[in-house]
Amino acid sequence: MTIATFPPEPKPDPGWSRYFGFCTDAKVIGIQYIVTAFFFFLIGGLLAMVIRGELITPASDLVDRAVYNGIYTMHGTIMLFLFIFPVLNGLNNLLIPTMIGAPDMAFPRLNAVAFWLVPIFGSLLIASFFVPGGPAYSGWWSYPPVSIQNPLGHFVNGQGLWITAVALSGVSSIMGALNFVTTILRMRAPGMTITRMPVFCWTALAAQSLQLIGLPALTGGAIMLLMDLSFGTSFYRPEGGGDPVLYQHFFWFYSHPAVYVIILPVFGIFSELFPVYSRKPLFGYLYVALASFIIVGLGLIVWVHHMFPSGVAQWMRNLFMVFTMLIAVPTGVKVFAWLGTIWGGKLQLTTPMLFCLGGLFNFVFAGITGIMLATVPVDIHVSNTYFVVGHFHYVIYGAAVMGIFAAIYHWFPKFIGRMPYEGLGKLHCLLTFVGANLNFLPMHPLGLMGMPRRVSSYDPEFTFWNVVASLGAFLLGVSIIPFLLNMVSAWIRGPKATHNPWRAIGLEWLLPSPPPEDNFGEEVPTVISRPYGYGTGLPLVEHQDEIERRLDLQEASAA
Amino acid sequence: MTDTTLTPGSVEAHGQHSGHNLTGFIIFLCSESVVFLAFFSGYALLKTSALDWLPPGVEGLEWRTPLVNTVVLVSSSGTIYLAEQFKARDNMALFRGFWLLSMAMGAYFLYGQAVEWSGLQFGFTSGTFGGTFYLLTGFHGLHVATGILLMGLMLIKSFIPGNYSGGEQGVQATSLFWHFVDVIWIILFLLIYVWQ
Amino acid sequence: MTSSSKPPINTTAVAGVSLWVGVLVVLSHWMGEQSHRWLPVSASTAAPLVDNLFGLETAIGTFVFGAVVSVMVWVMLFNRAEKYDESDAVPVEGNTRLEVIWTAIPFVLLMAIASWTIQAEKELGTLGPMEHIHLRDPIEQVGGYAGDRLPSEQVEVIARQWSWEFRYPGANVSSTELHLAVDQPVTFRLVSEDVLHGFFIPAFRLKQDVIPGRAIDLNITPTREGTYRLRDSQFSGTWFAANQADVVVESADAHSAWLQQAAAAPLQPGLSVAVEEYATLSGGSRRGWATVPPAPPPQVNVPGSPDQPHDA
Ligand code: HEA
Ligand code: HEA
Ligand code: CUA
Ligand SMILES: [Cu+2]
Repeated sequence: MTIATFPPEPKPDPGWSRYFGFCTDAKVIGIQYIVTAFFFFLIGGLLAMVIRGELITPASDLVDRAVYNGIYTMHGTIMLFLFIFPVLNGLNNLLIPTMIGAPDMAFPRLNAVAFWLVPIFGSLLIASFFVPGGPAYSGWWSYPPVSIQNPLGHFVNGQGLWITAVALSGVSSIMGALNFVTTILRMRAPGMTITRMPVFCWTALAAQSLQLIGLPALTGGAIMLLMDLSFGTSFYRPEGGGDPVLYQHFFWFYSHPAVYVIILPVFGIFSELFPVYSRKPLFGYLYVALASFIIVGLGLIVWVHHMFPSGVAQWMRNLFMVFTMLIAVPTGVKVFAWLGTIWGGKLQLTTPMLFCLGGLFNFVFAGITGIMLATVPVDIHVSNTYFVVGHFHYVIYGAAVMGIFAAIYHWFPKFIGRMPYEGLGKLHCLLTFVGANLNFLPMHPLGLMGMPRRVSSYDPEFTFWNVVASLGAFLLGVSIIPFLLNMVSAWIRGPKATHNPWRAIGLEWLLPSPPPEDNFGEEVPTVISRPYGYGTGLPLVEHQDEIERRLDLQEASAA
Repeated sequence: MTDTTLTPGSVEAHGQHSGHNLTGFIIFLCSESVVFLAFFSGYALLKTSALDWLPPGVEGLEWRTPLVNTVVLVSSSGTIYLAEQFKARDNMALFRGFWLLSMAMGAYFLYGQAVEWSGLQFGFTSGTFGGTFYLLTGFHGLHVATGILLMGLMLIKSFIPGNYSGGEQGVQATSLFWHFVDVIWIILFLLIYVWQ
Repeated sequence: MTSSSKPPINTTAVAGVSLWVGVLVVLSHWMGEQSHRWLPVSASTAAPLVDNLFGLETAIGTFVFGAVVSVMVWVMLFNRAEKYDESDAVPVEGNTRLEVIWTAIPFVLLMAIASWTIQAEKELGTLGPMEHIHLRDPIEQVGGYAGDRLPSEQVEVIARQWSWEFRYPGANVSSTELHLAVDQPVTFRLVSEDVLHGFFIPAFRLKQDVIPGRAIDLNITPTREGTYRLRDSQFSGTWFAANQADVVVESADAHSAWLQQAAAAPLQPGLSVAVEEYATLSGGSRRGWATVPPAPPPQVNVPGSPDQPHDA
């Protein structure tokens, strides 16, 4: 009977050093990704604090105008390419193999290379602060011709470094996406058919397919931008017959889908966590899972909604408006499914659950402003104003980052082996929720009144809401203190976690905390039912009782 | 209960994933094709909206020599296919022969392109026509060069005893890549040389 | 499932839900009305259309948001697990009928909004901003404005890093302050000399990118006298934020008087905050990062004043 060998005897802790080297264990890489991402999050957040400090008064007084432009550009770039994508890839690394019962990713070496590119292009991007002329300043869209103006004329300049860094980020993301897709398609546990796969894996598959389809277009567009900037071609240069709007198509063909790359895994997190903390199965599992791919399909054909005022034909505007609005339908299916899940449940308002509920609240709000942006005449008025900035911070900070925090609190015990502190966690959640709403709600009236985004100074009539937003931003800055405190102290001396502290159902919870290097090794259990069987009494895998008993025994003997 | 219920399904010994490799490589090619798709659509868009497409003094592109080039490159898809067939029949000599022939045909294509480039009256800064022409042919040429290098690597590896005991070892992937490069060229040829 | 196995209909619950839906409807309607107050004064033919559409969306949005949040609050208040209650809830795995309902209702709602929008746009097309894009060839720049449907005043708008210049070819006037006659259709021809800019007058609900290499025509009719702001809305470099101009909408008489007066005025440098700030910056120590130098201010008949009060 092979079961006798599982779970394996705990090996001695390999120690901290592996986190600093080229390790091919997906669980180590996952943590490397997450820690690196939060390092950059602090830098991006610091830049956001400068932005809000500048905007607390109408005049351009805290920083010079050119500096302001560099700072908001780097804020957006760092937050997206160095924080949100890496942190999500970290979660993918931790969760995909353990959730599907694979010992590792399909290509462990490629995985490590993809990770190590992050600090490399991160340093490249940060280095652009120190080159003559300063960093890129043309926004995270880098629209030409501003982005190819190169005021000093140096060959090495902030904009060039920016393009190189973004291209490298694309290479890293494609490597990651190849790996995740192959792993999910080829390495699932026996019995785990595609319709028995946890929703997080569905959403990861959907999101990573978007990366594979979208990123190459951005890369192609970026190559042409770099050639215009550095080698004198004129793809986008109007004097040479080029077309600046062409770049916008390349950029948004990727960067619109990119927002679903961000939110889909967060939908996955919501779908995992609501059942656990409501003690009910996920409502309409199959619909929730399939909706992810409808979002992928629609997400690829809506990019022009970012270009309504930039001169596209009316029929095109209308077509893209209708597709954009349709995205609300599969998204609504998901939202209603989560409501159906918590409805009549037995809610446990733990830190992860509170983050999910707060995130859902913010997401629905942001989705509705998204629908407003999709309707052409309204978008014409609010496009490129703070209304848009409000929309996307609600969805990115209010929903995605809160969902990521939920995931971190939920899976911390599994992968670190210790429990985070509930009190600090709830404080973090409260400050985040209040801070985010105080920060981002005032941006909507500002945009409606006509305050453009990307401005270092503004007319005095906008002062009131800007002061409120800045105070909210500073509160958000403070909210990160309990989080960091919690993570550091829990990691060092938090109470030891059992293999399943939340009584959750899933393959990853049938592993010791933290899991051994090759997860189940050769002893992958056979999945016999759908995920989320809360209250049904159905075991997830064969010999589940036995596996759990052994884990309990092992924990008891270690204690 | 029996062992079979616990037999690890998709788990193989670590480090050997030739099955995964091919899956991964096919996904990669799909993704890579989007870069070309982006360039192609950019080319079409710039061309259809341009006021003066050709730079002053340029009449158009000569298409006869490139056509010969095209025929050579496309035929090499056939020779590499034959090479694979021979390998499947364990005829290593013919495998290596046809493999080398494919490499030579690829190299001839690159040579022909270099000759064409050096005879052109416009550079890559000559408006959007010059830019897209060199971008498309150059980017494709880079792929041809990569393909030849990969084939060279496979050829060298084929002399290592026991090379194929653990699977295809990249022969299939390389040939797939080569077909991909050929298909891209056909589209490119139609776009640039035929549609003038 | 047979009907006999259905739970009996709970009349208090039905009444409660209906009552709450009523409250939400009233609230949504009220929010829809309020939404007009979040927008700047409406000073063009386009504004009422945009505002009504926004009001409709605010109302529908409030209802959807209110409904979702009501469920969340209800559940958080009444479906909490008791302390130490470790049992699971009743395992409901889904309900196909509900799935159909909540796929269909948003679909219908959204398509209703979309068709309302397309309708509104048709009207906008005849009344307000409906741009024609031309590739900019040299002849067209000098010559007339073929193809415009409305007999309207023509204003050529030239965007630069960082100033706005308005030319009235009919009256041979140029200005860095935009003057328009109330209730008279006007056609702007938008061109840029360098990078992308955005032509944005919030009070008109009008926005259009200005694209170098293209000439874009835009029609609008101002409907309210007053002074408004024109803001650059597409990031254009260092002094983007300061690239604004005043828009004066005046009576037809006042407008022709202004044109006449302006035509007589001598040319002088127009307004450009960028030029002023750049001079003081490069004189002293530059704290900032590199910038493209501003284009020299356009020579105009009327520069306008930098700090006049504006309505929106
Ligand atoms: C994670 C990120 C994320 C997500 C998920 C979304 C989701 C959506 N976004 Fe957003 N968006 C951004 C991030 C995101 N966005 C960013 C970063 C930008 C700006 C980038 C930049 O300019 O720098 C942007 C900009 C942006 C624009 C361009 C604005 C402009 O520049 O002028 C538009 C326009 O259509 C838009 C629309 C939408 C829509 C319709 C959705 C939809 O997917 C939302 C769907 C969800 C719901 C609607 C709620 C749930 C549904 C129901 C409860 C069903 C019932 C609902 C109804 C009947 C209404 N977004
Ligand atoms: C993941 C994406 C993400 C995230 C998380 C954030 C987070 C925040 N962002 Fe945003 N932002 C973008 C993505 C994001 N942003 C993008 C894409 C743009 C568009 C850029 C463009 O237009 O090109 C943008 C633009 C943008 C603007 C508009 C700038 C302009 O148009 O002029 C503003 C203004 O208020 C803003 C504010 C904030 C604030 C206050 C936060 C807060 O949530 C941040 C909270 C911060 C913390 C919680 C960390 C606090 C850290 C400290 C207090 C210091 C400690 C530091 C060290 C020890 C090093 N952001
Ligand atoms: Cu497959 Cu390791
Ligand atoms: Cu979008």
